Amino acid sequence: MLSTRPYKLHKLESGPASEAQVTSDEARKYYRDMATVRRMETAAGNLYKEKAIRGFCHLYSGQEACCVGMEAVLDRNDPVITAYRAHGWTYTRGVPVKAVLSELTGRASGCAKGKGGSMHMYNHNFYGGNGIVGAQVPLGAGIAFAQKYREDKRVCVTLYGDGAANQGQVFEAFNMAKLWDLPCIFVCENNKYGMGTAVERAAASTAYYTRGDYIPGLWVDAMDVITVREATRFAKDWCLSGKGPILLEMETYRFSY
Amino acid sequence: YLIPLSSSHYPVNQTTMHRPSLSACQLILRSFGRSGGNIVASRRFASSMNVRDALNSAMREEIERDPNVFLMGEEVAQYEGAYKVSKGLWKLMGDKRVIDTPITEMGFAGLAVGAAMAGLRPICEFMTFNFSMQAIDHVINSAAKTYYMSAGDVKVPIVFRGPNGAAAGVAAQHSQDFASWYSHCPGLKVVSPWNSEDARGLLKAAIRDNDPVVCLENEMMYGVSFEVSPECESKDFLIPIGKAKIEIPGNHISLISYGKFVGLCVEAAAELAKEGIQCEVLNLRTLRPLDEEAIVKSVMKTHHVVTVESCWPQCGMGAEIAARIMESQAFDYLDAPLTRMTGADVPMPYAQALEAAALPQVADIVRVVRRTLNRAAK
Repeated sequence: MLSTRPYKLHKLESGPASEAQVTSDEARKYYRDMATVRRMETAAGNLYKEKAIRGFCHLYSGQEACCVGMEAVLDRNDPVITAYRAHGWTYTRGVPVKAVLSELTGRASGCAKGKGGSMHMYNHNFYGGNGIVGAQVPLGAGIAFAQKYREDKRVCVTLYGDGAANQGQVFEAFNMAKLWDLPCIFVCENNKYGMGTAVERAAASTAYYTRGDYIPGLWVDAMDVITVREATRFAKDWCLSGKGPILLEMETYRFSY
Repeated sequence: YLIPLSSSHYPVNQTTMHRPSLSACQLILRSFGRSGGNIVASRRFASSMNVRDALNSAMREEIERDPNVFLMGEEVAQYEGAYKVSKGLWKLMGDKRVIDTPITEMGFAGLAVGAAMAGLRPICEFMTFNFSMQAIDHVINSAAKTYYMSAGDVKVPIVFRGPNGAAAGVAAQHSQDFASWYSHCPGLKVVSPWNSEDARGLLKAAIRDNDPVVCLENEMMYGVSFEVSPECESKDFLIPIGKAKIEIPGNHISLISYGKFVGLCVEAAAELAKEGIQCEVLNLRTLRPLDEEAIVKSVMKTHHVVTVESCWPQCGMGAEIAARIMESQAFDYLDAPLTRMTGADVPMPYAQALEAAALPQVADIVRVVRRTLNRAAK
């Protein structure tokens, strides 16, 4: 049994488990996945410096525990949508490292045949990779809407950053998700910087887990993969029990632009 | 009142068609009378229907046909539509299929696009396309581009529909024609119905299309009735996207237009027919992909062309049609330069006389046709 790091609750009576069972197979898998993402991102960073990758290349280095911890609870039938810092999620959603690096270097063997690039990689139940800050949030609410419409017992995980958290369309998505009880887990990956600007200079409130207002929220120390896993388990159960959306703030850190 | 259908629907026999002094238009007018009061009944015409009912019935049938189709927008459900286009649908289909949204275009357009990516087939109504500007990032970046960016993995079978262009006295922020903005973008299909048959066939085709389709209607046409063919009433009546229609064939000049302005071209053609000028009225029906073949064929036949729209002049639909003609073999067949009749290059004024002056009118089209053909002003 391992302890999880403490959570902070918003409009929740109780939170995720403070202890979690982790088998050695699970631990090895999480470590392997996180290390693979880190090495893939490091390779991408080097290719970018060599100019083999053009345009944008937003690296997930530092945030690995977030995607790996969440995927430990999600399955491939739970859709995920994220913004442009997407390579880590692309890998955990089943796209091989070679297909990611081929796409980044503009090859026809890339996962989007070289037509998408860094910000537009997709897979089954992985809706990218989205370049416009905040746009993926209403899209994610729409994917959750479709699941509810079809009566699929699934959750949609909709990720956005601390920068996107100030976007109007994010609040429009929150409003409809709560109004219509959509099974959406909104996840703010707070890595302390929105593009180049520190959070305190961009947001009147940096308590992102409370900014869903009427949507219950959870602050998570996302540098710990088990803490992330248990928060995701809690959130998935919450949505699937018909209580509507929930918001997770994953406080993390990134090492690059 | 009823607008005469094109001669292709009217059972004119071959001998009358070839009489030298009568155009097809004159034949129609003689039979129908001035404003359609004395209709010659033909077993080809099933009934008359206004554009509102055409859109309403198209949506109802497609929602009934496919469980993935649903309508969402402001006031579409309990209020029955801001312009009553979705009248009766919520009562019939319920909350699941006809959904009132908050007044948050960026949010609900994005939500609708996400639902389409996940396999549903939303009809996303904008109360007018002016408000689509709030959501245009989702129309273009989320919907139009995704199939390409994902190398064919992610389809977005969504329809964005609503009134486009000027209404009556709604002033600058509520009167813009978005035809050229949307038809500019690869990944979108853009249709613009004129009459009831267009409305039914194009909207049904749009809903069944797997690509994002923008359907630009016109508020002023909703209440206008047209006779429709029996085929039009079939639940599977579809008009192919990408094909223009010759509403009135003619040999002297091509009038190329879309939406409400096709009606003005039809009226201008009737007036010009009295002086022996045969206008060919080409109803584009689809703005993207543009039916270049129909445009080129018409101009090669008539050697003269006028385009009519309510977009502003710079980078409008007429500009694109002019460029296409220049780039095609039709260029060598022109006897005069193209004239594009457009909205005036100003934000739409409020006062009625100014609004009328800011849009092409029938008298303007008649004057421009005569000028193009070098006839003296009457």
